[in-house]
Amino acid sequence: MTIPAYTGLQSALRGLEANQAGIDTTGHNIANANTPGYTRQSVDLTEAASLTIPAFSNVTGGGVQLGQGVDVTTISRIRDQFLDIQYRAQNSNSSNAQTQSSVLGDVQTAVDEPSTSGISAAMSKFWSAWSALGNSPSSPSAQQAVISAGQTLAQTFNSVDSQMATVQSQASDQYNTLTAAGGQVSQYADQIAALNTQISEATQAGQSPNDLLDQRDELLDKLSGLAQISVTQQSDGTDTVKFGDAASPLVSGSTVTWPQTLTSASGGQLGALLGLSSPSGQIGTLRTALSGVAGQVISAVNALQPASSPFFSGNSASTIAVSATTSTITASSSTGSGDIAQSVAALSGGAPDQGFSAFVGQVGNAVSSAQSSAATGSSVLSAIDNQRQSVSGVSLDEEMTNLITFQRGYEASARMMSTIDSVLNTLINNTGAGL
Amino acid sequence: MSVGRITNLMTTNQVLSDINQAQYRLNVTQEQLSSGKKILQPSDDPYGATRAVDLNGELSGLSTYASNITDGTAWTTASDTALQSIQNEVQRVRELVVAAGNGTNSASNLQAINAEVTQLTSAIKQDANTKYNGQYLFSGSATGTAPYTTGSDTYQGNTGAVTRAIGPGTTLQVNADLSSVLGSGAGANDGKLLNVLADISAHLTSGSASDVAALSSTDLQGLDDNLSTLEQAQTSVGATEDRLQLASTRISSLQTSDTATLSNVQDADYATTLTNFSNEQAAFTAALKASANIVQSSLMDFLQ
Repeated sequence: MTIPAYTGLQSALRGLEANQAGIDTTGHNIANANTPGYTRQSVDLTEAASLTIPAFSNVTGGGVQLGQGVDVTTISRIRDQFLDIQYRAQNSNSSNAQTQSSVLGDVQTAVDEPSTSGISAAMSKFWSAWSALGNSPSSPSAQQAVISAGQTLAQTFNSVDSQMATVQSQASDQYNTLTAAGGQVSQYADQIAALNTQISEATQAGQSPNDLLDQRDELLDKLSGLAQISVTQQSDGTDTVKFGDAASPLVSGSTVTWPQTLTSASGGQLGALLGLSSPSGQIGTLRTALSGVAGQVISAVNALQPASSPFFSGNSASTIAVSATTSTITASSSTGSGDIAQSVAALSGGAPDQGFSAFVGQVGNAVSSAQSSAATGSSVLSAIDNQRQSVSGVSLDEEMTNLITFQRGYEASARMMSTIDSVLNTLINNTGAGL
Repeated sequence: MSVGRITNLMTTNQVLSDINQAQYRLNVTQEQLSSGKKILQPSDDPYGATRAVDLNGELSGLSTYASNITDGTAWTTASDTALQSIQNEVQRVRELVVAAGNGTNSASNLQAINAEVTQLTSAIKQDANTKYNGQYLFSGSATGTAPYTTGSDTYQGNTGAVTRAIGPGTTLQVNADLSSVLGSGAGANDGKLLNVLADISAHLTSGSASDVAALSSTDLQGLDDNLSTLEQAQTSVGATEDRLQLASTRISSLQTSDTATLSNVQDADYATTLTNFSNEQAAFTAALKASANIVQSSLMDFLQ
C-alpha cells in the first residue's frame, strides 16, 4: 500500500482554504447586507479529484480511490434573472404612474378647486355683479363692479391656464434634462458600457465578476425607471440593452447610441413626461377643456351684448380679457330697465358653470386614477422586490449560521493538520532513531 | 406572500413602508380634522368635488336672488309710501271740493281753496316723482326720467316693467303703473287724476255758478273714480310685497337645504374622522413600537 505521505496534509490544507473562502464570502455578504443592488454570494464546493491507489496492495485487485479533500469551483451570485425582468418591467410601469400622478397633482393644485378664490368663485361673483347692475342699470358703481368682476374672472382663467402651461413645459424641461448629453440616461448607459467591457474581459479569463455584475444589474434597475428596457445577455458576458422605443440598442457591448428619439409609448418616467408635455396629452386635453369653458363664458355673455361692443375679447382661457368699459357696457335694451343685465345674470348655473364643474370633475378623475395606478404600481413593485430580496438579499441570521459552520470546518481542518503533523512526527523522529 | 427567506433588509424595508403608510393615513385624517373638510382636492372625490362646485355656485345664485328680493321689497315699500301719501292728498282735495261745491263760498274763499288744491296737485306730482336708489319709481322702465316735470302734466315715462329675478327662472314686476291713475293732465283730456285736478282748479278759478255746480257733480265723481283706481294700484303693490315675502322665505329655505347638502358633500364628519384619527394614531404608534423591537433582535444576540 503506497499512499504519499503528505496527501493528508494537502487534504487538510484544501479544507482550510475552502472554509476560509466560506468565511471570507460570509464576511463579504455581511459587509454588504445594506448595499443597494447587492446579491448574496455563496462558495460552490466540489470534491477534489481522488487519488487512485494501485491494485497490487489491494485485496480485490481493482485498486481504490482515496479522496483528497475539497475544491472551490466558483463563488457565485444567488440571483433569479426572471425576477429581474419582472422587476424592471414593473419599475417602468410604477415610475410612469408615479410621474403622471405627481405632475397631474401639480395641475390639480393650479386649478385650486373647491375654493373661494378659484374660477368658480370668480364666475359666481361675476354673475352677482350683473344682477346688481340689473337692479340699478344706470349706477356707475354697479357698472364698474361688473367690469372689475369680469377682469377678475378673465385673469383667473388666464392664471390657471398659464400655471397649467408651466406644469406642461416643466415636464418637457425635465425630459430634456434627463435625455441630454451628460444627462441621466447617458450616464447610466456609459457606466453600463464600461462595465460590459470589464465583465467581458473577466469572463474571457474564466472568472465570475460577481460585484461588477451586481453594479451592472443595479444600473439596469435604475435605467428601467426611465423607460421600459429589454436586456439580452451575449455569450461574451456583455448585455445588449434596448431602451424604450428607440430604434437602435442604447448599449451594445462597449458602444453607447444616444441621443435617440423616444415616444410616449416608451414607458417609464420619460414616456410619462413625453405624454404629459405633448399638446394632445393629458394636460393638453385639460387645457383644451378649460378653454372650452372660457369660450362658453365669452360667447354666452357677448351674445347678450351689442355686436359692436362685446364684453369679452379672446377665445380661450389664455386669451380671455375684458374689452368693455363702463361707457360701452349695455345693461338695458331701453333706458333704465336693466333687462339685458338681468339676462346675463340669469346665465348663472347655466352652460358655463356646468362646463366648469364638469372640468373640475375631469381633473379630479384624471388625478385620482393616476394616484391609484401609482399606488398599485408601487405595491406590486415592492412585492416583486421582496421576492427578489428573498432570493438575493443577505440574511444576517443565515450568515451567522454559515459563519459558525465554516468556523467549525476550519477548526476541524486545522485539527486534522495537527493530527497528521503529529503522525509524521512519530514517523520521522521517533521511528528507528533509537535503534 | 409566499416567501421562504426573510432577509433583514426586507424586514427593515417593510417596516419602513408600513410606518410611512401609517403616517400618510394619519396625515390625511389630521388634514381632514384641521380643515373640517373631507374634500381638499378634486381627486379626493371627483364627483363630490363637482357637486361642491355646483352647490357653491347655486348658493351664490341664491344669495343674489335674496339681495334682489331685498331690493324689490325696498322698491315696493317706497312705492307703497308714495301711493299712500297720494291717496291722503286726494282725500284732502275731495274734502275741499265738497266744501267748495256747497254754493255758500265767497270768491275769495274759492281762491283760497284753489290755492290749496294747486299745492296738493304739485305735492301729488312730487310723490309721483319719488326715487329709490336713484331710480324713479313710477316712470315705467325709464327709471332715469322723472315721470312729471314742473309746469307740465304730461307723463314723461313709459309703460315698461321693472322686474327683479326672485328665483331660478322667476321674475317679478316690482313697479306700479301710476300713469294709468295720474294720466297726462288737461291737455290729454283723459279723465285721469291730473286732468280732474286741472278741471277742479279751473272751476274754482272761474267761480261761476255752473262751474261751482260742476265741482260737486262731475269733478267729485272724477275724484272718486280715480281714488278707486289708486286703491287698485295700492292693492297690486301690496300683492307684490306678499309675493316677495313668499319668495324670500322660499329662497332662505333653499339656502338652508343647499348649505346642508354642501356640508354633507364636502365637510368631514367629526365623529367619524375623530374615530379614524384615533385608530390611525394607534396604528402608527403600534408600527413604531413594533419596528423598535423587531429590527433590534438577531441571531447575534444569542451567540457567544
